[in-house]
Amino acid sequence: MIRLPWNWSIERKLPLFFSALLLAVVLVMLGAAYQQVRYAALLLAAERVQRLTKVYVDLLPRGATTQRTQTATLAADPGVREFVTSGGRRGRDWVLAAMRRIAHDTAPNLAIEVWDSEGQRLFLRGDTTLRSDAAPALPSDSALVSPYRVRHDTLLSYEVQAAVRQATEGRVIGRVVQIRRVNLSKQARETLTGIAGGDVSLLIGNADGEPWTDLERIVPGPPAEARVGRVPTSYERGGTKFGLAAPIPGTPWMFMTELSRQQLLAPSLAYLRRMALIAAAIVLVGALGAWWVSRRITTPLHRLTTAAAAIASGDLAQRVDVPGTDEMARLGSSFNVMAGEVKKSRESLEGQVAERTQALRASEARLRSVTETAHDAIIAADGDGNISYWNPGAAHMFGYAEGDVLGRPLTMLMPERYQEDHRRGIQRYLETAEPRVLGRTVELHGRRKDGAEFPLELSLAAARSEAGISFTGVIRDITERKRIEQALKETNAELEAFSYSVSHDLRAPLRAIHGFARILLEDHGTQLEPEGKRVLGVIDENTRRMGQLIDDLLSFSRLGRKELETARVDMTELVRTIAEEVRRGAGDRPLDITIGPLPPARGDRDMLRQAVMNLLDNAAKFTRRRTPAQIEVGHRADGPETVYYVKDNGAGFDPRYAGKLFGVFQRLHRAEEFEGTGVGLAIVQRIVLRHGGRVWAEGQLDAGATFFFTLRGADA
Amino acid sequence: MTQPHEVEILLVEDNPSDAELTLRALKQRNLANQVFVCHDGAEALEFFFGDGSHALREIGVVPKVILLDLKLPKVDGLEVLRRLKEEDRTKRIPVVVLTSRPEEPDIARAYRLGANSYIVKPVDFEAFARAVSDVGLYWLLLNHPPR
Repeated sequence: MIRLPWNWSIERKLPLFFSALLLAVVLVMLGAAYQQVRYAALLLAAERVQRLTKVYVDLLPRGATTQRTQTATLAADPGVREFVTSGGRRGRDWVLAAMRRIAHDTAPNLAIEVWDSEGQRLFLRGDTTLRSDAAPALPSDSALVSPYRVRHDTLLSYEVQAAVRQATEGRVIGRVVQIRRVNLSKQARETLTGIAGGDVSLLIGNADGEPWTDLERIVPGPPAEARVGRVPTSYERGGTKFGLAAPIPGTPWMFMTELSRQQLLAPSLAYLRRMALIAAAIVLVGALGAWWVSRRITTPLHRLTTAAAAIASGDLAQRVDVPGTDEMARLGSSFNVMAGEVKKSRESLEGQVAERTQALRASEARLRSVTETAHDAIIAADGDGNISYWNPGAAHMFGYAEGDVLGRPLTMLMPERYQEDHRRGIQRYLETAEPRVLGRTVELHGRRKDGAEFPLELSLAAARSEAGISFTGVIRDITERKRIEQALKETNAELEAFSYSVSHDLRAPLRAIHGFARILLEDHGTQLEPEGKRVLGVIDENTRRMGQLIDDLLSFSRLGRKELETARVDMTELVRTIAEEVRRGAGDRPLDITIGPLPPARGDRDMLRQAVMNLLDNAAKFTRRRTPAQIEVGHRADGPETVYYVKDNGAGFDPRYAGKLFGVFQRLHRAEEFEGTGVGLAIVQRIVLRHGGRVWAEGQLDAGATFFFTLRGADA
Repeated sequence: MTQPHEVEILLVEDNPSDAELTLRALKQRNLANQVFVCHDGAEALEFFFGDGSHALREIGVVPKVILLDLKLPKVDGLEVLRRLKEEDRTKRIPVVVLTSRPEEPDIARAYRLGANSYIVKPVDFEAFARAVSDVGLYWLLLNHPPR
């Protein structure tokens, strides 16, 4: 099967298909027309041979009939009968005379013989070459015409014979045979065919076989199927022929009119050739037309393709020129509009790219100047943990030049004991994408080029991009900080030990003073003046206050050391519980404490408890002279923080001294008015600050005070 | 009620004022009859584990309760506590820690070593006397030690 070249260009395909179609149509029409013409030619020829055959068959038997009559007349002649009866001895002259009567005109082509019943030739006159070789078969009683016979190869003859009968009985006693030579010559043929026309062959021959003649010479006869007659047929006889045979009445002969089939169909073939020429011209013109149409379609397409290719390769000014108003022209103008839009957006994009590139360069320069001048080490690594960036700070810190480390593993910067953890960390992050160190600051140790270890603080970030994952670390050498921290820790520990000692050592003598003062009063009170008893009371009172002071100081210093244990704290419940205790502590004095619903906070429950306790105690203390004493605990949201407040309608304070409220031992009221050590609010401030919150107060003298503190929400 | 020479309470206290005040508090509840005072940790250990040179050291003298200060000269109170609770002979004696230091780590350590109570000595004499006498009363009269 032929694979059609579908991938050919339209310019080739369209004319090809159109021409093929045209050719097919023309061929079909040509074939049909030729069949018609051929059929008509054959029909005409058939009519012609039928007509001619009929004419000749009517014409030809006349000669034979005459000859039969002549022969019969001769046989019935009494002289001839006498001649036969006598065995040729008598009446020869008679016979001659009778013979002359019938054969005067055809003498050269004629022979007449008389035979007796015993097969003896009694008489022979005329052309002796026609003489019979043997006694002819006994004829029937009437005169008979024989089939043609070939004599001496080129001679064609036939006999007409009639029986000689006994005058009385009618018994056959002999016969008269007239042998006639058929006149074969060009002239004879032309005479006969002149009537029919030069293209026609006329044939005469035996109905049951050879020989046949065309009247000029002996020719092979037509095949048996052509000799059936009735309808014109085609057959082979030295070429394809078309003809019709008919028997000649009164003879065993047949006549045939024959046309050469080639000659017969020559005009149709000529017609076909002419038509084919015209068809070829039509196909050629059609193909040219199709080619022209396809060119008209494909030329603009070619231009569009070329222009599109030019645009694709960057020549945005490219335009196409397709004149007219048809679809192609519209396509061309649409293309031009599109090209214009492409150019515009390309220019706008280039402008943006240039702008962004500029901004990016500036940002990069800024970033570079930061990283280049930073004291911190800034190091980047790829997903395999190999160093890809190394700033001067890093070179200074670790002692390696940039060229020493780029492409080498990060582990070279770590002491042995961290290396395995580091590899596992990277592996785990690459597998789970779950950061453990990322986004936080961790303290580790680094190793310098000389092998010395130093403490460092690392902030790590990871970035994923198409190029893969990369890590960036900012490393700060915290050797100095660690040293200061250590020193601070030692100082704190010393202070702590000192405060313990103080607390212990101060309490014991204080207890002794108090105890022995009581003993003095109890055991020897009777011996004392009232003034002595009063002085003992003053000692008693002051030792109590001193004890309280020491206890408060201890709990204040303890706050600095205690670890924060943060958890979710239900502030509403906590404040309610404390308010209950404060109410109990107030005894009979009614306290109106309002507690709004408070959001939960995140913090150390014990510490928050102490802070709230101190604030409520404070509020209760300073509302002592108010009736009713009103205290309100509420909150308001402030971003991720919650602002809690404790508001009272108590003695308030002079806002000029608001900043002093939270200092240790700071008191804004005289001890006779409101007792206290001046540590409670300092404790509140310390607790809130340790929770990362703020604390402040608002108030007016004799117009109440409000204490605020902030805490992170429970979910933060 | 008590047999002669039977030590009911052993007070280990280096501060003579505190010792006197303690004794006075116990006396107010009539619990001071058989109180013996050790003035430092070494003396307390001598009392129990010494070679017999101690004045009141007698076989079979076992106090019903020990009141133990933590901050002691020579041998620290916690060390005394540890030794007492290590010995089979002494580990069942209730030990009440009396101290001026209300410190969580000390309290936790004392209980871990087997202290039975932990009392912070108040500065206020009445409160102190009440605490001491309550403890004495509890451990001497109300608590039933295993036989």
